[in-house]
Amino acid sequence: MLRLSLLAAVSLMSGPCLGAEWPDLSGQTITIAGPYIGPDEEHFRAVLAPFAEATGAVVDYAGSQQFSQQIVIDTSSGSAPNVAIFPLPGLAATLAGEGKLAPLGDETETWLRDNYAAGQSWVDLGSYEGPDHVRRLYGFTYKTDLKSLVWYVPDEFADAGYAVPETFEDLQALTEKIVADGGTPWCIGIGSGAATGWPATDWVEDLLLRLESPDVYDQWVSHKIPFNDPRIVAAIELFGWFAKDNAKVAGGTNAVGTTDFSLSPQGLFTVPPQCYLHHQASFISSFFPENVVLGEDADFFYFPSYAGKELGKPVLGAGTLFAITNDSPGARALIDYLKTPQAHEIWMALGGFLTPHKGASLDAYPNDTLREQGQILLNATTFRFDGSDLMPGAVGAGSFWTGMVDFASGRSAEEVATSIEESWKALP
Amino acid sequence: MTAVVQQVGTTVARVRTGWRTKAKPGQLLTHLSLLILVLIWTAPTAGLLISSFRSKDQLAVSGWWTALAVAVTQEGTRLPTADSSIAETGLFVIRGRLPGTDMGTKIRSYGLNARDLTAAAPGESLSMQDGGSITVEADGSFEWSADRPFTHTRGPRLFYVVERSPRFTIDNYIEVLTTSGLGRSFINSFAVTIPATFIPILVAAFAAYALAWMRFPFRNLIVVTVIGLLVVPLQMSLIPLLSLYNDIAHAFGAADGKTYLGVWLAHTAFGLPLAIYLLRNYMLGLPREIMEAARIDGASHFQIFTKIVLPLSFPALASFLIFQFLWVWNDLLVAMVFLGNQETKLVLTGKLASLLGTRGNNWEVLTAGAFVTIVVPLTVFFALQRYFVRGLLAGSVK
Amino acid sequence: MSRPEYYAIENLGGAMLEQFAGAIVAVILAIVGCLGYFWGTNWLLETMLAGRRANADAETARRDRLGEQIRPWLFLLPALLFLSTYLVYPAIETLRLSFFDRSGSGFVGLANYTWLLADGDFRASIINNLLWLIIVPTLSTAFGLIIAVLADRVWWGDLAKSLIFMPMAISFVGASVIWRFVYDYRGAGEQQIGLLNAIVTAFGLPPQTWISIPVWNSILLMVILVWIQTGFAMVILSAALRGIPQETLEAARIDGANGWQMFYLIMVPQIKGTIAVVWTTITIVVLKVFDIIFAMTNGQWDTEVLANLMFKWMFVNVDYGRGSAIAVIIMLAVLPIMVWNVRRAKTEGEMQ
Repeated sequence: MLRLSLLAAVSLMSGPCLGAEWPDLSGQTITIAGPYIGPDEEHFRAVLAPFAEATGAVVDYAGSQQFSQQIVIDTSSGSAPNVAIFPLPGLAATLAGEGKLAPLGDETETWLRDNYAAGQSWVDLGSYEGPDHVRRLYGFTYKTDLKSLVWYVPDEFADAGYAVPETFEDLQALTEKIVADGGTPWCIGIGSGAATGWPATDWVEDLLLRLESPDVYDQWVSHKIPFNDPRIVAAIELFGWFAKDNAKVAGGTNAVGTTDFSLSPQGLFTVPPQCYLHHQASFISSFFPENVVLGEDADFFYFPSYAGKELGKPVLGAGTLFAITNDSPGARALIDYLKTPQAHEIWMALGGFLTPHKGASLDAYPNDTLREQGQILLNATTFRFDGSDLMPGAVGAGSFWTGMVDFASGRSAEEVATSIEESWKALP
Repeated sequence: MTAVVQQVGTTVARVRTGWRTKAKPGQLLTHLSLLILVLIWTAPTAGLLISSFRSKDQLAVSGWWTALAVAVTQEGTRLPTADSSIAETGLFVIRGRLPGTDMGTKIRSYGLNARDLTAAAPGESLSMQDGGSITVEADGSFEWSADRPFTHTRGPRLFYVVERSPRFTIDNYIEVLTTSGLGRSFINSFAVTIPATFIPILVAAFAAYALAWMRFPFRNLIVVTVIGLLVVPLQMSLIPLLSLYNDIAHAFGAADGKTYLGVWLAHTAFGLPLAIYLLRNYMLGLPREIMEAARIDGASHFQIFTKIVLPLSFPALASFLIFQFLWVWNDLLVAMVFLGNQETKLVLTGKLASLLGTRGNNWEVLTAGAFVTIVVPLTVFFALQRYFVRGLLAGSVK
Repeated sequence: MSRPEYYAIENLGGAMLEQFAGAIVAVILAIVGCLGYFWGTNWLLETMLAGRRANADAETARRDRLGEQIRPWLFLLPALLFLSTYLVYPAIETLRLSFFDRSGSGFVGLANYTWLLADGDFRASIINNLLWLIIVPTLSTAFGLIIAVLADRVWWGDLAKSLIFMPMAISFVGASVIWRFVYDYRGAGEQQIGLLNAIVTAFGLPPQTWISIPVWNSILLMVILVWIQTGFAMVILSAALRGIPQETLEAARIDGANGWQMFYLIMVPQIKGTIAVVWTTITIVVLKVFDIIFAMTNGQWDTEVLANLMFKWMFVNVDYGRGSAIAVIIMLAVLPIMVWNVRRAKTEGEMQ
């Protein structure tokens, strides 16, 4: 009920805020298809309400758990919605290459560059080769996740006398200290049903950004250096330092591959705790037990970088991308609406939403935890996207996942990287 | 004709008595083997049922089979801050009850550190860092008192071992049943399922009869093709068919070809090969004599089919009806592709899937959801069971 | 959320009523339409053939023959229309796409097939599919038959059948939750929430990560399908068993056949046609099995099967060419089953 009244309050509050400069779209229907379901869907509808009111358009959103499958079918069959929200850039890139997406135009590109923190990286994320092999902006990122976070329970740290590590060296020392004290430092679970393996790809990407310069990361993602380059293998091995040591992972190495990522953080909150640390993106807090109060019972720290390397503070993230799959004035107006701070602040207030929009007020976040995460996003010096999302689907959502599962089940980093490289080379 | 009907009548009467053996030495073994099989088959379903009455946190920490036993768990809580203290005859007191405790629970021991749960037995006191001392009673009530006012702004944590009699919740069901639009998606599911169940039965029954009892060229070729079509992967037909629908819709000026009619026809076609295959096999087993007698009486194929074969095929029709109903009712893919998943068109399975949340964080509602959706197919099953269990015909008298 | 909740509830009544009425009208129209077609064409045929009865006998006989020739096609026409539009056409389209590139626009000849032969995942799926094809139909049919026979001999047989049937009725989304809690793994020393590991640890053995141990994991996934499909086999076989004439069974009993002999020598041969049908149907279900693997492992730990691989190439990698090539392989795999059914159909024909 509380959520409902909050939603009502938000839509009341933001309704009149939208200016009068919006085109009159009465009588038109804008269809949107996306992956937001459940609470996310409710929140997104709250975002759409003022837009519908200001333009008079009917905004018809359809959320689906099997969005990816549906958008492939709909775009191939001639019943594409006006706007599609892609959870993975890889699929958007594929469809752009087949001419199924409409370019967003230079104006939007400039806008993104100027108004999103680390704007160029967001432009890069949404730019793909069209059917004519020219790179253009097709995807507008809205709703982001922050990946480089480590979750912990401050009270347990206080009870055991541990301090939040400031550098990667400290993090490794802390890991070893916890083992020496007879505890288990990490909870790592990479199970995710059909997508098993993805949490491990986040680990590897985060570690690569700490070991090597962002250039190496970009070359790796765009396949300019092979997947089994020694530097990549080193990053995988570093993940192994954490995950392939029975003493360092709750349940032992065997549990890594089969523990569901959603159940994995539970170990932080058991009595006594099964582990002290959990590396996962910002959204994971929605999987914590119900009575956990963020900021009090659980908190996060930035996955630290090496003090010994001059690589700044790299931040890894991901997001959903809006693209026009069936061009119409309404679809264009909707993308313009996403540029307004209101479109961001409405969802910020409802929780579970981060944005790099510099114009959106940090005050809109409902709690300090989200505000700090929003701040990290705005302050990022080096911002990189989830590399597996950027690789071709067959690798980034295929052999990379499988490879990480194989790695967790015992194969060597070298072997795994080589087999992923082979699958990448075999792509047409 | 009358002779035929009589014959059918006696056959029915004969079969109705059923084949039930009298008590035999092997009878006990029969009971026992069947019981074991039923138990194995039911265990996962029972697990799902029990799980549906447990909270997400319970599901994540203990197995469903422990739900019925007294549970001993280790839990933690955060005590209230200074704000909730009251002054009492020179003492400052914070009173309360540990979460999830009542008369039915028993605290075994407690402590102030997650690693030391046996620091104190119920009734004993522990001194607190924030001043004063705390006493937790066996029923879960606690009293924290100090001679100086409390000042802490962050409650300290307290850990305890608690014995609990079985606890169940209907929250999962409440969450499913109060979803807005659930009623509508129920109706949508019916609107999709009922026509999509009856049309293929009618179409298949005629075709199956022709393939079983009529003589015409290419008959065997058609039978074999039907079997072969069973294997066409559904996923491969979605794009060509939706394109076809959209082309037709565009020709009539509609935005897209997603209609109820489209879903019915698609389900009909996808169900047809199995329906024809099952029904033809069943009809082949019908006693030849009945049909020959009818032919001699001058009945046409049409009359034989509607007056004799169709009534005799009730068990097979009922079995297929159940399977087609189940398949359509539980389908998500075909409805999603050919109907779309706008709020107004969402079928029940789609509605439940959307309860999951974008990242699947509400998977526990699926446990309750499974039983909310299963009610309808099970009702259909029970309603039809008498038709195919009792059996109306005397098989092939060869 | 643009409109408050009560708006939706207020309108729900009207919309639901409308939809419900629509559904009922549709059912009536559909049934009337179907019946209308069959009765109408029959009436048409009879009227046309019955005209001018006064003609010679030879003419009548000719017309009767003509009627006999036309009628099967009238019975079959709707089914053939449906099958050719919804299944034959997509199958041909799939075959065509399998010779084209990822977007279906450039002809690539046999490239997709040569790629398949070299692909490790494909070879692994072939082996796994063979395992599935041997184990699942056999076990499902066998269990279905045993349960159908046993349930006929006890007073609580109907209840037993209903319980065995339950897994068929549970939507797979629901079932996947519970199987997760059967195969779940927790580290040694922790409380197991997976049933299988709880049993194993109760015997003092170490818990296993079931779904990541090759071959065993495939078998454990097959268990799920056997669990579901046994209900299907049971229902069909049960109906067939009830169809065995009472005299046949009585005669065997008088001859002194015991329970096992009754089962093996009398019942099984009587319903072997139906057993073949059940076995064929489940075999084809196995060829298409997808959601179990997709939800439980997505082909990881060497559990890949053809249907899941096809799905990946179609909808994850969006490569229609390769996806279609795998689909064609799945469709070809049904050929031996078809040949076997043709042989069966022929011997049946001879028996008639």
